[in-house]
Amino acid sequence: MIELKGVSRRFGEVLAVNAISLVVETGEVCVLVGSSGCGKSTTLRMINRLLPSTAGEILVDGKNVCDTDLQTLRLNMGYVIQGTGLFPHWTVARNIGLVPGLLKWPEARIRERVDELLQLLGLDQEGFVDKYPHQLSGGQAQRVGVARALAADPNILLMDEPFGALDAITRETLQNEMLRIKQQLGKTTVFVTHDIDEALRLADRIAVMDQGRLIQYDAPEAILRRPASLFVETLVGSQDRGLKMTGLQRVGDAMQRHLHPRPRDLDKPGVREHETLRQALSLMLWQGTESLPVMDEDGAEIGIISRAQIWAGGH
Amino acid sequence: MFSSPNRVIVVLGALTLTLAWVLDFGVIQPNRIVAGTGYGLGEALGLVASVTFSVGMVMILGLGAVASRFRYSLLTAGLLLLLLVLPWGLALFAERQLPGSSTYARTAMGAGFWCLLFLPALMLGECLQRLRAGRGLALILLALVLTSWTLAVTSGDIDSLSILKEYAARPDQFRAALSDHLALALSAVAISLVLAFVLALMMVRRVSWRRPVFGVVSFLQTVPSLALFGLLIAPLSALSATFPLLQQLGIQGIGWAPALLALIAYSLLPMVRNTFVALTDVPPTLLEAGEGMGMNARQLFFRVKLPLAMPVILEGIRVTIIQAIGLTAVAALIGAGGFGTFIFQGLGQAAMDLVLLGALPTVLLALVADAVLSALASTMRSAP
Ligand SMILES: Nc1ncnc2c1ncn2[C@@H]1O[C@H](COP(=O)(O)OP(=O)(O)O)[C@@H](O)[C@H]1O
Ligand SMILES: [Mg+2]
Repeated sequence: MIELKGVSRRFGEVLAVNAISLVVETGEVCVLVGSSGCGKSTTLRMINRLLPSTAGEILVDGKNVCDTDLQTLRLNMGYVIQGTGLFPHWTVARNIGLVPGLLKWPEARIRERVDELLQLLGLDQEGFVDKYPHQLSGGQAQRVGVARALAADPNILLMDEPFGALDAITRETLQNEMLRIKQQLGKTTVFVTHDIDEALRLADRIAVMDQGRLIQYDAPEAILRRPASLFVETLVGSQDRGLKMTGLQRVGDAMQRHLHPRPRDLDKPGVREHETLRQALSLMLWQGTESLPVMDEDGAEIGIISRAQIWAGGH
Repeated sequence: MFSSPNRVIVVLGALTLTLAWVLDFGVIQPNRIVAGTGYGLGEALGLVASVTFSVGMVMILGLGAVASRFRYSLLTAGLLLLLLVLPWGLALFAERQLPGSSTYARTAMGAGFWCLLFLPALMLGECLQRLRAGRGLALILLALVLTSWTLAVTSGDIDSLSILKEYAARPDQFRAALSDHLALALSAVAISLVLAFVLALMMVRRVSWRRPVFGVVSFLQTVPSLALFGLLIAPLSALSATFPLLQQLGIQGIGWAPALLALIAYSLLPMVRNTFVALTDVPPTLLEAGEGMGMNARQLFFRVKLPLAMPVILEGIRVTIIQAIGLTAVAALIGAGGFGTFIFQGLGQAAMDLVLLGALPTVLLALVADAVLSALASTMRSAP
């Protein structure tokens, strides 16, 4: 659990972070979102004390970070930044093994852990561990960055616009990867982005910031439904927040389930349980139908989703 | 890469061929002072050798002009062969033209010979670049050529060469000059490396140090070398006159002490500049990542900053060594020894061969230092 209590940071005349208070529960993903220069990175960097705060206090699992040994604090927090920050003169294996190495794990255990992480991030190709960062694509490098942050199994993950420099498709793949890792590992995460859609996808709670202040701290759905101010409303886009809302809900939660799975009618396109209502709606619009079959992993039809159910889910 | 003719090879090849025939290959001097008679390629080497050379050169020219898959490999082999046989050409010249009777008569390299040495070396450089060969290959080729020269010199076949005659008159002095030269240049570089490292570290840490340090080392660099050597004489003689201990250590107004000081002063700028730039050029995101992951300042310096800065620091060492080897030759003027001694003696006696005995080894030392350090830097760069 991370608690910020009235935390501020001043750079000369500029009050970059202004009395922010928020709580990130254990296992939750908190996304700090806001336009560039609003103090997101500064907030994040105060949590691992790359920057000292000028007022307020930060507690991690109830303990003030200023009372914790600096190295111990940081070794227990994975840190991922934009542009990866991978060491160019180290191989993938050595980069990932950085923190375990600092913790003086035995060689064999580090090697084992590196393999494990490469597998987790879908990078377990022959010879990959011996590559240097300049030989990797942007997406691969950022995955290695995430693997490096996870290496010593820290309790907390701090991520500063990790996918900001990637193209749209790679970014989406990595966001899905994040969702999977979140389910698998359940790390307490503070994630910084300026992209509201990324925030809506990944967050358990979103902290909207503006000019150093915390404007609203709420679940994604609540941010969409009840924006606290005009600023938040503009940020989420007052025009298409209905659509964004459907993007937060799963087909599985809104559909009408059959009693028994049925063999699928192959001519009719369908959606899967874990897909969003937004994807279902888009397919309906495209097909001009009122309803779609829902399939499980094996392709059997397990239920049906109709327009009326999407409408009901949107309210 | 394989398609168009290579103009550099064609032009340099044609130039080599022309100059080799137009200029004198070698010169026969009756003694040390009197100007000698020049011999063109045909007379110097005879029909067989000069025609063989010409045919070979035409083939090299042709290879440069036509598209061929292996042309740069073939050219490298051909040019290397030419550079390898060159000292033996001198042996052939001596055998054919040197009058056997006179012990004072000597052979000297003519302008044509120098062209045959430098133009093909340039062409070889071009080929190596086209082949994208590493510095390692260049180093091997240089070693091969030097070996061939060493063999030719030790065989005794070119003992009549003027520069070797000058050497034969003073082998002990030569050895002393070599060790003085190396000791002076290398210790100046080593000391300035340590100084520059400390200065650069302070400049990294304290912004207020940057301007004054750069100001001073840049100013030192602008003082003409002769003036700096001269300027140090007075204060050092005063010091050694006041403190007898210094005198016992051999520190005087002239000799190695002022030379070493001046060389260190000159070495500081390239060394400080490269070390400072190398250490500050490490991307801040890397340092932030490392710090954020829990590396302490020491780990960050030795595992990230220093290894990333190393190639640029090595480049600084390379430039500094070459500069120091050259400047050490000038230091002979204030009695510091080294190859400069022969240069200034030769100038005084109007004996150009003696000048050459000082100048050639200086150039050679610089070349070898350059090749070795470049090879080292490029291996560090390619396999970090
Ligand atoms: N090291 C620093 N020195 C001075 N001002 C800074 C420093 N870091 C950030 N700032 C200022 O603090 C404000 C917030 O910056 P930052 O937290 O990086 O914003 P964000 O990450 O939201 O884009 C900006 O106005 C920025 O100029
Ligand atoms: Mg930022």
